[in-house]
Amino acid sequence: MEYVIEMIDITKQFPGVLANDHVSLQVKKGEIHALLGENGAGKSTLMSILFGLYTPDKGTIKIKGESHNIHNPNDANALGIGMVHQHFKLVETFTVLENIVLGVEDVDKGMLKLSNARKRIVELSEQYNLRVDPDAYIYDISVGQQQRVEILKMLYRNNDILIFDEPTAVLTPQEIDELMKIMKRLISEGKSIVFITHKLNEIKAVADRVTVLRRGQYIGTENVADVSKEEMSEMMVGRKVDFTIEKEPSKPSDVILSVRNLTVASKHGSKPAVNNISFDVKAGEILCLAGIEGNGQSELIYAISGMIPIESGSIVLNGEEMANKNVFARYQSNLAHIPEDRHKHGLVLDFDLSENLVLQTYHKKDFQKNGFIKFKNRLNHANRLIEQYDIRAGRNAKTNTRSMSGGNQQKAIVARELDRDPDIVLAVTPTRGLDVGAIEYIHKQLIAQRDLNKAVLLISLELNEVLEVSDRILVIYEGELVGEVDPAQVTQQELGLYMSGSKREEVTIDA
Amino acid sequence: MSTLYFLTQQTMFYSIPLLVVALGGMFSERSGVINIALDGIMIVGAFVGLFFMNRMQATMSGQGLLLLSLLVAGGTGVILSLFHAYASIYHNANQVISGTALNLFAPAFAIFTARMAIGVQQVTFINQYRIAQVPILSQIPILGRMFFTNTYITTYIGILILGISAFFLLKTRFGLRLRACGEHPQAADSAGVKVRRMRLAGVMISGLLAGMGGLILMVPVTTAFNGTVSGFGFLALAVLIFGQWKPSRILMAAFFFGLMQTIAAAYTGIPFLANLGIPSNVFKSIPYLTTIIVLAFTSGRSAAPKAAGEPYDPGKR
Amino acid sequence: MHKLLQSDGFKSIASSLIAILAGLIIGYIILYVTNPYDAYYGFMTVIRGGFNSIPRGIGSVLYTATPIILTGLSVGFAFKTGLFNIGASGQFIVGGFVAIYIGVHWTFLPTSILWIVALIGSFIAGSLWAAIIGLLKAFRNVNEVITSIMLNYIGVFMVNFFVVRTTYDSLRNQSITPSLATVPKWGFDTLLPNSGANGGILIAIVVAIIVYIIIDRTTFGFELKAVGFNRDAAKYAGINEKRNIVLSMMIAGALAGLAGGLVYLSGTGVHIEVLDRIPMEGFNGIPVALLANSHPLAIVFSGLFIAHLNIGGFYMQRFDFVPEVIDMMVAIIIYFSAFALAFKGVFEKIARKMKGDKA
Repeated sequence: MEYVIEMIDITKQFPGVLANDHVSLQVKKGEIHALLGENGAGKSTLMSILFGLYTPDKGTIKIKGESHNIHNPNDANALGIGMVHQHFKLVETFTVLENIVLGVEDVDKGMLKLSNARKRIVELSEQYNLRVDPDAYIYDISVGQQQRVEILKMLYRNNDILIFDEPTAVLTPQEIDELMKIMKRLISEGKSIVFITHKLNEIKAVADRVTVLRRGQYIGTENVADVSKEEMSEMMVGRKVDFTIEKEPSKPSDVILSVRNLTVASKHGSKPAVNNISFDVKAGEILCLAGIEGNGQSELIYAISGMIPIESGSIVLNGEEMANKNVFARYQSNLAHIPEDRHKHGLVLDFDLSENLVLQTYHKKDFQKNGFIKFKNRLNHANRLIEQYDIRAGRNAKTNTRSMSGGNQQKAIVARELDRDPDIVLAVTPTRGLDVGAIEYIHKQLIAQRDLNKAVLLISLELNEVLEVSDRILVIYEGELVGEVDPAQVTQQELGLYMSGSKREEVTIDA
Repeated sequence: MSTLYFLTQQTMFYSIPLLVVALGGMFSERSGVINIALDGIMIVGAFVGLFFMNRMQATMSGQGLLLLSLLVAGGTGVILSLFHAYASIYHNANQVISGTALNLFAPAFAIFTARMAIGVQQVTFINQYRIAQVPILSQIPILGRMFFTNTYITTYIGILILGISAFFLLKTRFGLRLRACGEHPQAADSAGVKVRRMRLAGVMISGLLAGMGGLILMVPVTTAFNGTVSGFGFLALAVLIFGQWKPSRILMAAFFFGLMQTIAAAYTGIPFLANLGIPSNVFKSIPYLTTIIVLAFTSGRSAAPKAAGEPYDPGKR
Repeated sequence: MHKLLQSDGFKSIASSLIAILAGLIIGYIILYVTNPYDAYYGFMTVIRGGFNSIPRGIGSVLYTATPIILTGLSVGFAFKTGLFNIGASGQFIVGGFVAIYIGVHWTFLPTSILWIVALIGSFIAGSLWAAIIGLLKAFRNVNEVITSIMLNYIGVFMVNFFVVRTTYDSLRNQSITPSLATVPKWGFDTLLPNSGANGGILIAIVVAIIVYIIIDRTTFGFELKAVGFNRDAAKYAGINEKRNIVLSMMIAGALAGLAGGLVYLSGTGVHIEVLDRIPMEGFNGIPVALLANSHPLAIVFSGLFIAHLNIGGFYMQRFDFVPEVIDMMVAIIIYFSAFALAFKGVFEKIARKMKGDKA
């Protein structure tokens, strides 16, 4: 019995998309097997099938040599399969202990009896070095700790086949190293791991073998030692990918945005989310604010764009103080904002594409007269943007935005924001969840803006993006600026130290 | 002093049904389903329960009949809630529309059935359930006069329901799983909890309690049911929100609103208030006005179950 | 054919028709269970609706439809902006009272415009009453369903208080007739005598058209829809969501208030009875709006349809059936309309099978 998991010829169809097209996967006992593919390649779907969240339309699954039908997570658990999801499945208002036992609680005539569970969890957390307080509430603990809770969930259930779905998306480089160590520890205790990712470095660091999927299809399986990053990425994307971005050196000129002593309150707790921050963004440069999610970047951007109020400080845009002005006024001052959450803020999904493309400009003279909408102009505007930015939408300008793919939705937002010819662009994780082609495209657009002498403030969590795209990097940690580095000089490790708060220095502004 | 006794006794008649119905709403919403049909379910529960009482009071009597009618009312509530559950949980229907449909249906059904069955739209019953004095307990100084005199067995049943509800919600496996479904159904699902089944239970419990609550409301305050509960089901929703979806707070909120309702209905029996010279319509408005004022101050930070009202979509990751 | 099946308009109309069919069928079953012999005749009377007595029945349908088209517009308008205006009844009675008051006490105005001023008064009164709901929702995050219900009751108590003190007919315990302020008949009384039909129906239809234009053709409507669909995105876009929520409720309230004005100024002897009863016209607007999926022009038709059923229910009484069965039928229709999503899914499936789609 060589293989602990065999998924053979799996096919899964969703409305409009064939997520898995006769895909096969074979995982050996005791190995770390990476599942590589772009966003939308079908990796999460395949693993969700293994975990019982979906049932395949066709194909068989063999666990430890025997065929099984896995109808729900309970079945998967019974077979020893556990999964740590990309978006944690934790109930925020419950404690760590409650989250771990949910679904497998010890009861006495229906009443919860958690003392044995508590003991076991403490044992496990010491055995695997996954320290966490069982009585802490999830909303109180850090993202890294939440991930440990997810891992403990699997260990508590004695899972020995562990699936990790994009586990490093939310971790610092140091935490990633720790996770790699934990994985190796788990293997040494007899577990087998499947590790979904699109990050080639990590595959090289821990994985034994890698299976590549592309657009729902199985491309191949290789020994990691025998294959290069370039070869893996070519399998993943289907063509040669250039990792380095071609760009001219930047020529920064006037200061467009000037933030001084900005403090923004936090929704939870008394410590402010943004604590006395000062920095400038100049025309002709891409300034990146790097940091782990949850260190104040979101609040900073919402404050600059006017979506939330500030406690103190000043925000000067093109020479005018904005701190007391509303969102509308800031758009009038030639600000553009590609938001963090395209579904929550960036688009009204129930509008059609032409309506979303005028979301901030519907009131301008071009698009209305005396309050009545000029539909023809709107349509022409939309058609122009669709062509210029290559936005794919089933019914063009009239497409219901909800039905568009994530990549095209993001392209629509980028098109809309950049078409307004702004002086400064706030771009918050603009390439999150997109495939390589779309990522390349958006990077090109941002650099083009910078070359047109616009200012770009980029918020990013992807170290590659931070290092390749930006001209200057400021690191934010717990609401404060802790370092300014030159992307051409700094290493990923050093950047990671700043991001995790292990290294800090005074950040001064050239007045 | 006798005013205080009178006040507490009367307040019970309004607080307890508010408490019971709000607890029902709590189970539904904490499992993730918004149930605004509490008012309609109260109406139908009260109607069927009182109708049963009306038919049976010739052959049965006493507290036994009341308890039996209570069960009938509760059972009716469960049946009605199944319609809401079926639409909302198994077909991901808009929960507000489904609840509204039930609210529209209830009074029409009560009047229609009454007129077809007994020829008039009012259902009357003989109120033989008032307990003048609970043996022993009513002798306790002060508290005895407040809580154990001029009372109904339904009051104590209501407190019992509170105790059972709090216990079930917070101390049992069922309660843990139910709460998980209302906060993060995907987490519950991947932990192996059957979300739909939990939500069905939550809605059925809300039906049971709302149906019973309708009867509990009607028995002490009137002898003729006219197809309406004067918006009590919505007051119960306000109690739920004011009580931040927690049993202990719901109790306090229910008492507060019950007190307001008492002042509105019985102020003529309270010399201090009757002599103030305020028109009766102002008094009648007090419960509704205070609801608005209280909610204006407490709706800011909401502890509402995160997933309440969102149809559960297993495809969303 | 499959393109038709997939179009939004078709799916909405077809879903509504299926819901109506379901409601009618169950209504028939209810009639049959209560009285098998007369059930068929009773049911057919309901179906014939206004046509049971031409021309009077038809006039009654137009007369009954007028207020519920407007309260339907009120509820539907609020729905478009993401709000549930279950307070239309309160706005209705407040608006109605103000119209009566003006009609009775402002007789210094020429009769030709008195009714217009009175209607404008009802319009404004309704909007102010609803503004409370909007302000509480926008600025204090108070659930508008609860505020609306509370204001329904407070509105009734308040209006009763003022009727007694300003426009009271103590003999009959109701408001007095504002005989100089009556909505003009515009020929409806000659066309459809003895039915109460008057120019109000034309006013309601014109208002529906105006509401449609506002929602679909103006930038204001665009903002309202944005706020209704996604309040966060509206905030991101710089749209003042708080202002729009308040304005939206005010317009919804104005529409319901106008409904009240048209009813009590219809010159048909309708008065505000000083009872603790919430007027049903407000609640009846909800099914009208839901059945029409909140589309203003469709609301005219769903309003006429429900009025048609109600008149049918009136005539059905000659078979000894209780007219509340109509309300039950309407409630059942609404219940099935909640399944609209499921129906739409079915149409999608059929369309795809027809295309021979495997993807």
